Amino acid sequence: MSTETSAAPALTESQSRALFEKEFVPHLDAMYNFALRLTNDEDDAHDLVQDTCMRAFRFIGSFEPGTYAKAWLFRILKNNFINDYRKKSRGPSKVEFEWFEQSFAGDDDPEPAFQADLQAETVNEMLGDEITSAIQALPVDFRMIIILCDLEEFSYEEMAKILNIPIGTVRSRLHRARALLKETLASYALKKGYKTDMLSA
Amino acid sequence: MKTNCSHQPDCLKLIQRILDKEASAEEEARFLANKDQCLPCQEGHELELALRKALKTSCHSKCPTSLLESIRSKISSIILLILLLIPLFCWFI
Repeated sequence: MSTETSAAPALTESQSRALFEKEFVPHLDAMYNFALRLTNDEDDAHDLVQDTCMRAFRFIGSFEPGTYAKAWLFRILKNNFINDYRKKSRGPSKVEFEWFEQSFAGDDDPEPAFQADLQAETVNEMLGDEITSAIQALPVDFRMIIILCDLEEFSYEEMAKILNIPIGTVRSRLHRARALLKETLASYALKKGYKTDMLSA
Repeated sequence: MKTNCSHQPDCLKLIQRILDKEASAEEEARFLANKDQCLPCQEGHELELALRKALKTSCHSKCPTSLLESIRSKISSIILLILLLIPLFCWFI
């Protein structure tokens, strides 16, 4: 009996550690980047990723090897962010966002009135800092979905699971988020004097 | 070549779904067949591609090594704690 009990944790220990190295570590860059975009602060991003890893490690038994660890980790990270960080860092964003989604609810709605006057050439000319600040200026739910889709290339189905929303909402939220991002970039471009109508000129 | 298109909002949604790899093969083929005749579709497609490229190049940060080390050491101490506690617990029972 005593040999059995002492052998069991040793096995779990090496298995868990191996699982951590194999399944978690390859996604740490992506997790840190996501956390940094969400919190907009290096120390908060550090804490958020660390908390996420510790939580994931605690529930490592519920992770099924062979499934997509990245989506599982991002879901934990996002829940952690909502529970701990969002409250203290950006309270009003939820209100902002709910207003936004209500005003353009549903897939069949008429398009948002704005059709940003933005050309590919303008985007190519813009500086990295301008792109990142445009992303940071988005309400957090819009920022989140753009990063998940355009940067991390999750499928709509995976995003629906990570964000815990229906797939139709993923589609419409993504569309709104991109429209708003273009709008923001177009106004930057105008302010900074980039040409906004190169092709039609 | 069309310079104005009444379906532009729908085309834009389709372009995004194609780039997100969520459109069917037929939808993609239909779009590619019509793209050459429609300026707003071409511009929209280029813009969406440019945005993705810009995001990928500018919103990119690496996890600091110090963070990885700190996570590893936290995990080791948890494992150590478990290894100490379990025999202790079994001994009490």
